[in-house]
Amino acid sequence: MNYKELGLKVGLEIHFQLEVDRKLFCNCSSAMKEKEPIGIVKRRLHPVASELGEIDVAAQFEYLRNRTFFYEIFKNESCLVEVDEEPPHDTNEEALRVALQIAKLFNCKIPQYIFVMRKTVIDGSNTSGFQRTMIVGFDGYFEFKGRKIPITQICLEEDAAAIDKEDDGNVYYKLNRLGIPLIEIDTGVIEDIEPKEVEEIAYQIFLIASSTRKIRRYIGAIRQDVNVSIKGGERVEIKGVQKLSLISKVIEKEVKRQLELIKKGEKPQKETRVAKEDGSTEFIRPLPGAERMYPETDVKPIKTEDVLKNLEIPEPLNKRIERYEKEYNLSKSLIESLLKTDYFFFFEELVKAFPKIEPSIIANILSATLREIERKEKVEVKLSEESLFEFFDALNKGFVFKEAAYDILKKMNEGKGVEEAVKELGLTPLTEEEILKIIEETKKEITDKKKLIGIVLSKVRGRANISKVIEIIESLS
Amino acid sequence: MDIYDILKEKGISVGDKIRIDSIEGILMPKTEFVESDVIVVKMSNGYNIGIKFKEDTKIELIEKKKEQAPKKSAPKEFDPNKPTISILACGGTIASRVEYKTGAVFPSFSPEELIEAFPEIGDIANIKARKLFDLFSEDMQPEHWKIIAQEVDKEIESGVDGIVLMHGTDTMHYTSGALSFMLQDLPVPVVLVGAQRSSDRGSSDNRINLVSAVLFAAKGDIAEVVVCMHENSNDDYCSIHRGTKVRKMHTSRRDAFKSINASPLARVNYLGKKIEYLTTNFRKRDKSRKLKLDTNINPNVGIFYFHPGSKPEFLREMGKFYEGIVIAATGLGHIGINPGNDKLAKSFLPVVKELIEKGIPIVFAPQTIFGRLNMNVYSTGRILEKVGVIGNLCDWTIETALVKLMFVLGHTKDLNEIRRMMLTNIAGEISERSEYEL
Repeated sequence: MNYKELGLKVGLEIHFQLEVDRKLFCNCSSAMKEKEPIGIVKRRLHPVASELGEIDVAAQFEYLRNRTFFYEIFKNESCLVEVDEEPPHDTNEEALRVALQIAKLFNCKIPQYIFVMRKTVIDGSNTSGFQRTMIVGFDGYFEFKGRKIPITQICLEEDAAAIDKEDDGNVYYKLNRLGIPLIEIDTGVIEDIEPKEVEEIAYQIFLIASSTRKIRRYIGAIRQDVNVSIKGGERVEIKGVQKLSLISKVIEKEVKRQLELIKKGEKPQKETRVAKEDGSTEFIRPLPGAERMYPETDVKPIKTEDVLKNLEIPEPLNKRIERYEKEYNLSKSLIESLLKTDYFFFFEELVKAFPKIEPSIIANILSATLREIERKEKVEVKLSEESLFEFFDALNKGFVFKEAAYDILKKMNEGKGVEEAVKELGLTPLTEEEILKIIEETKKEITDKKKLIGIVLSKVRGRANISKVIEIIESLS
Repeated sequence: MDIYDILKEKGISVGDKIRIDSIEGILMPKTEFVESDVIVVKMSNGYNIGIKFKEDTKIELIEKKKEQAPKKSAPKEFDPNKPTISILACGGTIASRVEYKTGAVFPSFSPEELIEAFPEIGDIANIKARKLFDLFSEDMQPEHWKIIAQEVDKEIESGVDGIVLMHGTDTMHYTSGALSFMLQDLPVPVVLVGAQRSSDRGSSDNRINLVSAVLFAAKGDIAEVVVCMHENSNDDYCSIHRGTKVRKMHTSRRDAFKSINASPLARVNYLGKKIEYLTTNFRKRDKSRKLKLDTNINPNVGIFYFHPGSKPEFLREMGKFYEGIVIAATGLGHIGINPGNDKLAKSFLPVVKELIEKGIPIVFAPQTIFGRLNMNVYSTGRILEKVGVIGNLCDWTIETALVKLMFVLGHTKDLNEIRRMMLTNIAGEISERSEYEL
């Protein structure tokens, strides 16, 4: 399909949860660890008349569904603020700092004073009937394949409550997600583009935002909304694309859907649809009207000057990737797999601390080896940065050898220290005398040098430096 | 000079579309939260931002605000088969419209606006509605209570089947208490109602509270002054509290209003539009009964909150400003009288005696809020009662004691008569029994 000829226009709204301890407007934990609710409140929402006595289309539509909302309350993770029984507290400063870092990373203009707004939301996902949101940056951009992708706005907002179950007009929401700091990054209209490229753009946005090291990465913590239109069609907003890798499929299917409607002589409608796991979409409501925002008068406006004064702007992750490629000679695929770990930034600390170890070896152990342990042993690898530092320190000192990385790290993941792991595995380093003894003994049986090297190496595996052993064998013959 | 005045000189006012340097937006009203040289604009994406005005800031007008008259809806026809109620607005923003362009909130008072916002009330009753005043709850004065009582009297004279008073919540229980004494022998219900969540939001408790209040005013069988507010945090029931026993017990929750030392009188099932009575101990509706309006009150009554460290001299000083004093006393009804002549302790006994001798009644109410005073148990209580402190065996709230003393002082200056009236149950303010199940 020729998307350029079809006049494909796409806009992205990307949401990330921030990795901060507290919620945006109260001191509840944002951990989402609790499983069982400690209570439930039952609520109804009502459309609110605007100054013209009109109720916007989207709000009325939801109202007609006549639903009752049940909100599940979780210990430590929801309080009266989430239950809509107490006004919001002051804005979480850490979340605000990260949001401003992100706005800077995308070259945005920063408002001198930020006002928290109430965005009317009447599907029940916010107990208050609105979402608190604030614009932290606007009119920004980032570079992609030699062109500038416009970033129209970056907002810091409250995440909504997650739906738990729904039956017969009764909708159950979990309040633990409500209020978690969420970043929304909106691109402007992107034209002259292929669906696959849109996916790459979304990934770049994710990378740049990740530069702050405060972006949550699990599924559900990142959500995309995609706006799609083609010539003769209409703007359709597709909400809740949970995976980056679904974006191109969602766009392709939406273009196809609009084309089919046009072919039948029907005009596609402006509407909001929701993405399903296979990339297809279903209608949820007409597109909401525009004027749905008014000030949250319960929260003080923020003077950004004071926050920006001491704000450090981290190195953009896409720049860091280029640097890893050049400075440390890492291959693109190795960087890719390192990015999927929690140790992408930590990698460089290790490289700097242990100059005797090849950077690619460090990267390989952090990505491939650890992933292999997870896959083969069917365990979750939860090694702290301290433990990994201990391991690489031992590697650097020649106390352990890279061939034993798998076994030692597996033990360490069970809670053992390096020395303990080495002892238990019988992997204490061999002395030169011991190595010589092994060579001499093996030599008695095998004369072919190639075979000899192979057998000796398997005997000393993980207990000696391989090149050194080969050197010794060579010097003996 | 205020930047908004400078803008005015340039012919720019709130709601106009303007350009400040490179930013376009609609000029918003100023807010007390930011400095006076900050201009607030709503950008086209709906977000408000603040821009500091400097000498070289360029501001130009793009477009004047278009005035749009609000849509007027037709009055609802009178239905002789339905009861008729009057809604009198005293303040609070239980019903309002948001102007999303500027974020301004406009209160609604006319019957048409109310019915449009809450269509259900028009199905329950014929609605008369008007504004008495538009006051924050904390600005309400005893003189306002008199006006409210007189207006209620007028409405009842006109033959309505019930009255709803929309009121700010902070002092609603003072008003309900005062009206309970001023409106005697009520023939129909007088229902005070408010909202704890502002009416601009979809989650406001205004709808359920107001619809329940209208239902109770139209069909409830209790011809007393009552408060109708959320029963708990859920949006399904409202409690009907007796005006003299109710108190705001939470700063923010929907169910902030609780009956103290008494059960609520009834509850209203919002969805089912049904009333469930929780007691039979109330004055029944009887339209033929004649209301006795008595607005004689003396507002010169003050509250002294006793606490460790509080000063007898301050209580003495209060006697210069007030003609009656309610003391929020500890426990069963105690304030320090230092019987053992402790070096550090202070005695309030001389001041209390002195004030009473001057003709200033001293009335106790429990600072524990829950429970009944009993000044027979400890010698401190016995001594205080002996010198003339009023309140033994009463379980009223501090606020009800205050408004009752105002009412009583509006009728007599005689201390014996004051004592007799205070200890006589006039409007259900003293429970006869302390029920265990509360």
